[in-house]
Amino acid sequence: MDLLDYLGIGFSVALQPANLFYCFAGVFIGTLVGVLPGIGPVGAMSLLLPTTFKATPEAAIIMLAGIYYGAMYGGSTTSILVNIPGEAASVVTCLDGYQMARQGRAGPALGMAAFGSFLAGTLSIVGLMILAPPLSKFAIQFGPPEYFTLMVLGLTILIYLAHGSMPKALIMAAFGIVLGLIGLDSINARPRFTFERMELIDGVGLVPLVMGLFGVSEVLLNIEQVIRRDIFETKIKGLLPTARDWLDSKGALARGSLLGFFLGILPGGGAVISSFISYAIEKRVSRHPERFGKGAIEGVAGPEAANNAATGGAFIPLMTLGIPPNVVMAMLLGAFMIHGVTPGPLMMKQNPGLFWGVIVSMYIGNIMLLILNLPLIGMWVQVLKVPYKILFPLILLFCLIGVYSVSNAVFDIYIMILFGIVGYLMKKFEYEGAPLVLAFVLGPLMENNLRKSLIMSQGDFSIFITRPLAAVSLILAIFLLISPLVPWLGKKRREIPKEEVLKR
Amino acid sequence: MKSRNIISSLFWLAIGAGVSYGGYDLELGTLHDPGSGFMFFWVGIIIIGLSSSILIRALWLKGDAMKLRLLWSEIRWKKTISVLAALFLYAYAFLPLGFILCTIPLLIFLFKAVEPQRWSWAILGAILSTLTAYGVFQLWLGSQLPRGLLGLG
Repeated sequence: MDLLDYLGIGFSVALQPANLFYCFAGVFIGTLVGVLPGIGPVGAMSLLLPTTFKATPEAAIIMLAGIYYGAMYGGSTTSILVNIPGEAASVVTCLDGYQMARQGRAGPALGMAAFGSFLAGTLSIVGLMILAPPLSKFAIQFGPPEYFTLMVLGLTILIYLAHGSMPKALIMAAFGIVLGLIGLDSINARPRFTFERMELIDGVGLVPLVMGLFGVSEVLLNIEQVIRRDIFETKIKGLLPTARDWLDSKGALARGSLLGFFLGILPGGGAVISSFISYAIEKRVSRHPERFGKGAIEGVAGPEAANNAATGGAFIPLMTLGIPPNVVMAMLLGAFMIHGVTPGPLMMKQNPGLFWGVIVSMYIGNIMLLILNLPLIGMWVQVLKVPYKILFPLILLFCLIGVYSVSNAVFDIYIMILFGIVGYLMKKFEYEGAPLVLAFVLGPLMENNLRKSLIMSQGDFSIFITRPLAAVSLILAIFLLISPLVPWLGKKRREIPKEEVLKR
Repeated sequence: MKSRNIISSLFWLAIGAGVSYGGYDLELGTLHDPGSGFMFFWVGIIIIGLSSSILIRALWLKGDAMKLRLLWSEIRWKKTISVLAALFLYAYAFLPLGFILCTIPLLIFLFKAVEPQRWSWAILGAILSTLTAYGVFQLWLGSQLPRGLLGLG
């Protein structure tokens, strides 16, 4: 079968009425989540995971993927109109988008964000289609040592790119591994750290953990202070960018798309990092860098293209290797598992309908988003006006029902509240949640592959350096881990990526 | 910053020690055949090492630009604690009272707790939100929310 046959399968799955509905629901909710500050795609995906239990795996993944890339679209609306990024990936869009709005050019800014997102999103799906099949074939040759070292590398890159202290990010990852290993030992079925509680035999659930860390803790942080949201009153007219705008933005769109796609493949919050780096590049290559921060449309086009392209790239390691490169993909891996599907090199052969159906649905979802975003901007602005005092009880209600619906266990509600407190304290003490969640998902896989590798080599650790791919991954991981100790490399890490953008 | 790092590193030091001890207790196995506690033990050791490095660095630093109390200043403590207490109480009463009887009072409380709103709005909002959630999750999606005293489910 060639690519066209596979695309045919994908269209036959994605165009089924139920899947179209789930795709629409996903991108709609994603946009809503992107618009509303205080709840991100990870929280929304965990909240809505229970609603997919009755659906087919295809429909479930199509909807959850739609939330992810939909949130990237929605995030730009708040950045441009309110100067509040709905998503971390839209932080840089504030810099020039909001200035454009203040100059009465909110329409072209929103239009360029939507068109740029659409173009980049579509390009990244093409990239995903082209790269995923050969990578899947290549990955079939991987053994436990390759998987173990790739996961170590993935986790290390995420830690390296963490915003704050690297030791703190490493502690979070280590703690995530510990939490992920709670429950029965996968090799000898021995209970570990279950404290004689039956509820912990299957381990700590991903949904209560994520909802606690990203949902409840966010609410606790928001209610402790008075939140004021000033919406910049402006008339939005002429959403279509002018020919001049397109001319100014074409380079930024192309560079942002390529950069976002390739950075999305790498572990470590591709969408966020790529938007920052794209902004820095655009500012550097511009003939008039002084315009940046004062309403340059390239400052909107580049980052918006980059953060949307990154979403397509992020699917590559998950769907071809079964290794999630960021927290959102870790959540998606959890969803795959709950629906009885193991993503990895064999998924394309064993579940072609799911694999290609999800990819094709992303094309359709991108078109839906374009249609949804431009005419409905007025509605999203109204949504922004919903006060937090009304929003937060509803977020908590969804968290409570969502957690209970997954397992029908009140114990999980307690776990969620507990991790809500943990997440709240983590933010106070400047610890990041992302490495914890990714390590939580990867922990059991890492342990399994480490033990298998050691059994294979009869306890000889050289198995990790005698196999080329494992050795390269390990050397890269060690290099990244020790780099903060080397003065100039440590300086480089601190400069990535926000400082680069924000030093204006 | 300094006090924050000292407190948090001491906490992680204790966690690391507990995890290592638990891993050792579970059986480490051999390198040929790692046991159930192998990974726990070594990850615990890593946590101990990392938290010690944060602790030593924090103790080494002079001054304390960011006092710990500043971290907690201007926080509406009563709101945060009351919301948490309400959530714990909800979890405790969820099974015996059931979804509807538990959720309506919780939402009324939450609507009134942070930025007080009119009673009529809070009550109406709570009832409508609860019934909508019940309709979506119980009736449409087939979740098994607890029936409790009302026997609805």
